[in-house]
Amino acid sequence: MNRIALSVSGGIARVTGSALGPYQTAVIRIGFSATWLLFLLREFPHRHEMYGPDAPWDFGLAQQLIGLNGAFTALMWTDSRVWFEIVYALAVLAAALLLLGWRTRAMSVVFMVGVLSLQNRSVFMGDGGDNVLHLMSIYLVFTRCGQVWSLDARRARLDREARARGERVVDRTGPLLWAALGAVLVGVTAAGRLGGDPTVPVLLWTVWTASALWWAVTRRAKSAEPRMLLDVVANIVHNGALLVIMAEACLIYATAGWYKIQGSRWQDGTAVYYPLHLDYFSPWPALADLMSVSGTIVMLVTYGTVIVQVAFPFTLFNRRVKNVLLVVMMTEHAVIATVLGLPFFSLAMIAADAVFLPTSFLRRLGDRTARAWGRRLPRGGPVLPAQRDRHSADADEKSRDGGAGKDPEDGRDGGQAEGIEGAEAAGAPA
Amino acid sequence: MDAYGARDAAGGGGSASPEPGTPPAQGTGVTVRGTEETDAATAAGREPTEPEHADPAEPTEPEHADPVEPTEPERVTEPGDVTIGPPPEPRTDVAALSPRYQIAAALALAVVAVTVCVHLGMVFMHVAPSNTVTKKHGKAIEEWIYPEFEQNWKLFAPNPLQQNIAVQARARVRTAAGEIRTTDWYDLSAEDGRAIDGNPLPSHVDQNELRRAWDFFTATHDADNRPVGLRGSLSESYLRRIVELRLDRDGAAGQGGTVDSVQVRSATTNVRPPAWSGERISLKPMYRVLSWWSVPADEAEGATK
Repeated sequence: MNRIALSVSGGIARVTGSALGPYQTAVIRIGFSATWLLFLLREFPHRHEMYGPDAPWDFGLAQQLIGLNGAFTALMWTDSRVWFEIVYALAVLAAALLLLGWRTRAMSVVFMVGVLSLQNRSVFMGDGGDNVLHLMSIYLVFTRCGQVWSLDARRARLDREARARGERVVDRTGPLLWAALGAVLVGVTAAGRLGGDPTVPVLLWTVWTASALWWAVTRRAKSAEPRMLLDVVANIVHNGALLVIMAEACLIYATAGWYKIQGSRWQDGTAVYYPLHLDYFSPWPALADLMSVSGTIVMLVTYGTVIVQVAFPFTLFNRRVKNVLLVVMMTEHAVIATVLGLPFFSLAMIAADAVFLPTSFLRRLGDRTARAWGRRLPRGGPVLPAQRDRHSADADEKSRDGGAGKDPEDGRDGGQAEGIEGAEAAGAPA
Repeated sequence: MDAYGARDAAGGGGSASPEPGTPPAQGTGVTVRGTEETDAATAAGREPTEPEHADPAEPTEPEHADPVEPTEPERVTEPGDVTIGPPPEPRTDVAALSPRYQIAAALALAVVAVTVCVHLGMVFMHVAPSNTVTKKHGKAIEEWIYPEFEQNWKLFAPNPLQQNIAVQARARVRTAAGEIRTTDWYDLSAEDGRAIDGNPLPSHVDQNELRRAWDFFTATHDADNRPVGLRGSLSESYLRRIVELRLDRDGAAGQGGTVDSVQVRSATTNVRPPAWSGERISLKPMYRVLSWWSVPADEAEGATK
């Protein structure tokens, strides 16, 4: 009985005390935003045919369908071509900035608006990959996905160092961004354009209000408690969303796997042969033929696919098996990307899988990336000055408190900072 | 049915859920520090033996979380670690909050936990086969899921599509000389196929547009090609507009001509069974021919622009 109480209280402390999986949430943030960014750039020449006011699925048709389902899309606010170009450009920009982790929470909201606006505008243009991005863009808004590997983490560190040196840190960009986004939100609401399904409008208003509350509490509150409470709430919401993201990935695999079991082609071991020979999914017919030359191999791949998809959710209870399956699934998606001509679907799925990668692996990956990056940058590039700042600040801190230790939050951007440090130590000349 | 036709916005206009919790935004640029990681964690990160402090394999569900191991880096909260920096570091330890705030935190935890459970339950029921619960509470599930959480993961399941469905079209053209001429059939899907062949990054325009428009059409029409509901007539307009666009690109109208009407058909051919399977099936295409659709005047002009 005591044990149970102990584990419950331990669990509560865990989910309230910190936003879990900082590296995992960062890697999916980068993965999903990169997928969407690359997709938007790739489809740039086709954007009018896909989402523009004069697309085959034109403004009038979209209006009628959205009249039925109430889906959110900024593209239905007006049929202006200029507005369409603005929305597309903002979607690209938001994806890029979310990738970099600049004002991560705000960008995650704009990113979601971009994804939903384009996809809901022309819902028959999408495939499974779009569907993954659609859901994940909503879930990402609830996470603190910029704790590491982000410009936000870097800024937080620089601010901290500046404060340690006794400088005053005033943030003007944040309130400005908040005001600009708020003006749009107020305007759109007043114009009655948020009429459809309330999910997204409520979410937008909630995030915007919460931002104001956050700012007010950190600025004005007399005691630290309101701020701590908000931090706790943010952690709880983050951890809940992280759980939803992981469960969603499991549901994807479970659904894909369990339905396959019922199919005769998956049972007789020939299923994999067929998609390889559909005109719409065979960019390299010769490769597809080569892969299906042996009935035994096709059968093994067919059964293997089902086994992996069905098994995956259960392997989460064993780290080692889970990691093996992760490698198998990521490899399979990489193969699907080429062989079935579904690069963006596969990228989105690999990004979703990445939420299950172990922290130690992600940190090593981050270190290595930062090191490779640092090697390529010429001395005096954008990263190195920050690095010097860091050293001087560290020295500063140590002289102040006799080297009692660094700021506990340093670990948050440790992945990158360490890598850069390593690069410098290795004498990375240009 | 085909696997990669994902969402199709089937939803009724249900009203959806309240949002879980209130996520404070970083947009204001204010960072509250309350993170638990210490130097120990940072240093440990360099070693391969580092204990994972946030392995997602561990359940993060509040009620079922593991008892905390003493070695976990994020649990190290020694006061000595947090003495630097001018403002005192607030810790996000609920135990340190006064009862009033603890109650608020507990409330938030309860709301999020319930929302997460309900949401996951709804999504599960949405992707599950029709069952006792979905038959009874189908409406509630739909209202929660549609429009933004719609999903379909029957990827190549239960069976992968085993036929190539080619959408073909021809036009009745009024030539510059004023004659009426009927063109040959254009295989629009074959054009898509050629755009996909050898392309490492196939466009949705080639891979999804026509393919999914045809799926949408067949899903909203009966066997006699009569539309079912508003969605049926929407799908007709959509398909017609795609066909007009493609025929225009192919120059079907000829110099100075205009397209008066278009006709669409599908040619369904079985994929040749694998050589090693010994199966024998007909490889002759089956046609489904729709009636002629006249092209609205504005679209005929728009297409020639």
